[in-house]
Amino acid sequence: METEPAATTAERLNPLLAVVAAAAAWLVPGLGHLLLRRWIKALVYFLAVASLAVTGLLMRGNIFHSNGADAFEMLGYAADIGSGVFYFLAERIGAAGPDVSHAAGDYGTRLIATAGVLNILCVLEAFEIGLRRRERGGS
Amino acid sequence: MTLNHFQTLMLFALAVSLAFAFLSKHTMREQLRYAVWSFLGFLVVAIGIGWLMYPFSR
Repeated sequence: METEPAATTAERLNPLLAVVAAAAAWLVPGLGHLLLRRWIKALVYFLAVASLAVTGLLMRGNIFHSNGADAFEMLGYAADIGSGVFYFLAERIGAAGPDVSHAAGDYGTRLIATAGVLNILCVLEAFEIGLRRRERGGS
Repeated sequence: MTLNHFQTLMLFALAVSLAFAFLSKHTMREQLRYAVWSFLGFLVVAIGIGWLMYPFSR
């Protein structure tokens, strides 16, 4: 179990570390926690996000782009881009391309969006840990 | 790659339960307990809703 050293609140705030950790966590799920030496969290978050995103892409789920025609597509884009590297590598991982004419493709679309939203939560936690706002150290 | 609805649900429940457990709990014991209960909760609720919807599928 990792513990944080005792320090005053003023000494514990570190905005630069928080921003770097959050950016790393977004780009590669788990990387922000790795930088913050939260080894187990980093591994769990990477596995959770990667398994959802890769499975969704291999099931030929749809990836939403920034030029969405309606609010639903924009929301889909906001969710999808949360998975960072998996969004940018989507065309390589899911080389067959999206196909939502079958149920599997539709499930895949949901899994990809879930991976992105889950990673956004992890990014927020990495930012928070970077700021040293947590009272208790996690694993 | 093709997973059926239940397999997809299992993957979703497992990944989300684990991530939520580590996001919301601090000790390993709490995290494990939360992950197991959350995973089972996802499955039970999904199967329960499936059964409730069954009469309307015909």
